[in-house]
Amino acid sequence: MAYAYLFKYIIIGDTGVGKSCLLLQFTDKRFQPVHDLTIGVEFGARMITIDGKQIKLQIWDTAGQESFRSITRSYYRGAAGALLVYDITRRDTFNHLTTWLEDARQHSNSNMVIMLIGNKSDLESRREVKKEEGEAFAREHGLIFMETSAKTASNVEEAFINTAKEIYEKIQEGVFDINNEANGIKIGPQHAATNSSLAGGQGGQQAGGGCC
Amino acid sequence: RLTSYWMVFSMLRLTSGFTMRSGCFFARGLFSRRQREAHSAPGWKLFGKVPPRESTPKDSRTIQQEYEAKTSKAGHSPPQPTSGRRKNLQFEPLSTTALILEERPANLPAKPEEEAQRHRQEYNEMVAEAKKRELKEAQKKKQQMKERFRQEESIASAMVVWNTEILPNWDSMRSTRKVKDLWWQGLPPNVRGRVWSLAIGNDLNITAGILTLKSLWRSYVESIREFGASMADRESSLDLIKLDISRTFPSLYIFQKGGPYHDLLHSVLGAYTCYRPDVGYVQGMSFIAAVLILNLEEADAFIAFANLLNKPCQMAFFRVDHELMLKYFAAFEVFFEENLPRLFSHFKSSGLTPDLYLIDWIFTLYSKSLPLDVACRVWDVFCRDGEEFLFRTGLGMLRLYEDTLLCMDFIHVAQFLTRLPDDVSAERLFASIACTQMTSGNRKWSQVFSALMKDKEMDKSGSPCLKSS
Repeated sequence: MAYAYLFKYIIIGDTGVGKSCLLLQFTDKRFQPVHDLTIGVEFGARMITIDGKQIKLQIWDTAGQESFRSITRSYYRGAAGALLVYDITRRDTFNHLTTWLEDARQHSNSNMVIMLIGNKSDLESRREVKKEEGEAFAREHGLIFMETSAKTASNVEEAFINTAKEIYEKIQEGVFDINNEANGIKIGPQHAATNSSLAGGQGGQQAGGGCC
Repeated sequence: RLTSYWMVFSMLRLTSGFTMRSGCFFARGLFSRRQREAHSAPGWKLFGKVPPRESTPKDSRTIQQEYEAKTSKAGHSPPQPTSGRRKNLQFEPLSTTALILEERPANLPAKPEEEAQRHRQEYNEMVAEAKKRELKEAQKKKQQMKERFRQEESIASAMVVWNTEILPNWDSMRSTRKVKDLWWQGLPPNVRGRVWSLAIGNDLNITAGILTLKSLWRSYVESIREFGASMADRESSLDLIKLDISRTFPSLYIFQKGGPYHDLLHSVLGAYTCYRPDVGYVQGMSFIAAVLILNLEEADAFIAFANLLNKPCQMAFFRVDHELMLKYFAAFEVFFEENLPRLFSHFKSSGLTPDLYLIDWIFTLYSKSLPLDVACRVWDVFCRDGEEFLFRTGLGMLRLYEDTLLCMDFIHVAQFLTRLPDDVSAERLFASIACTQMTSGNRKWSQVFSALMKDKEMDKSGSPCLKSS
């Protein structure tokens, strides 16, 4: 399907916080109580509409274990948005946010929009991290923040879409250089055609869903 | 999604023959229903000389109608009235072969001869085609049954050969052509564990006598208690094991809490982190341990597990030795380009690097990405051929789906390869692996790999994705 822009997202955070479940809820609108664990990286894609424009999200869902950090680090490159996820029922996943953030800042482009997500908000009785703590962390580090539940789908749609809105605004403000693919943004094929500077770019290769 | 496209496509093909020629579309059931009418009722004529199917049981009603048909023919009576037809429509559908050309109701003027001729011809074509299709399907089914029977037979006879000839003479026979060929066909399930054990070996000299998993495990848990906070790392890997066990083959319901192998998987993984604290627990291990537990006794499973992970390729991956992993990917790409040049350049231009799919495949030895029975067959030959076969399997997979992958863009390929179709058949995959040659120029896998190892200034363009870190 035709799109105006393609944004690359990366989902990061400790293992077991629900990264793959958030992705599945966003792309397939379903929840799998026992999800396979992710080794390396998995992928998802979905079309959304912002400001009347079709935007394709290409989402990289990464493995969370510390050992895989050196691998996943290389996947930050060319991401326009990152969802940094922790589990509100496990404080250690919140405590590790600083190292995740350092990693993300160091290996991504400086304009990457980061959304902090406190997942599993449906498990209120087992909560270990207060919502205010998440908000404070986000404020301090200049992130957007939301609590979500991949199980009930609460705020999942919003988390992905608000991140895209922020990226879109940055494009409008001219913060992102959309002609530089390292920023994780590609212009859709039909738009690229009118943009001569991109004629030789990769925009066209991402067109449509293939012929099969 | 892909499969459903194909289904729609093939359904269209199935129906178009009828709809386009006849102008009116009959459902499968209606055709067959009419076959039986055709044999019985007067006024219905079966073109194309389709014989009644042998399997068709004659019930009393059929017999009666056949009788009626005979009598009416004898008396040259006119076609039966519509009510007769209605009655006949109560029959059960049988096959798609018998199309009947209905004569025009008596109250309508006769067709011009030319038109009638054309209709007859069209009708004949339809019947012939339907018949051909049905014959083909029956043949296919017969073939499948035969194939299954043959497989069961060969497994049974292979089992005897393994038990009586090969296993008692393992050292002298393991490398013979005959054994290697038999090995390729897949190990019979009840000798699988033993062959794996023998093939993996026990270079680490772990003896079941000294080692009981429980004692190892106990000392492990105690050491955590004793050292408290300083053992935080181990403690977190303990939590991680717990978390991951619930996510290991969740659909089998045997490793999850309360399942029969939950504790065993837990202790194998726990014991390993104690046995090899320098490696620790790394995600992906739980799948390997689980497959071994399914095929081996407790102590043997642990011995095989520790020795398997000790192999150079597995060590490189589970230690997440980046440089070494890059060498493996680079070697893979050498053979990728050699075997599938078109797909190789398609991946290159889409920016699709092998790490994206190989990491999952290699870490879990395909046990997470392939159906378990297919994965076990891959393990069989992996035990025979070593690490090379893991990469050969990867190329076989790419070859199997080459046509599909060639028409996909980056994200679709990435999604496809990290979540393979769940109906991958072992036969087709192995046929495709068999077509994959592991020689580049005159060099074998080991030669290509060691050349890359020597090459300190390796061209990192092989996996640009991993370059930055």
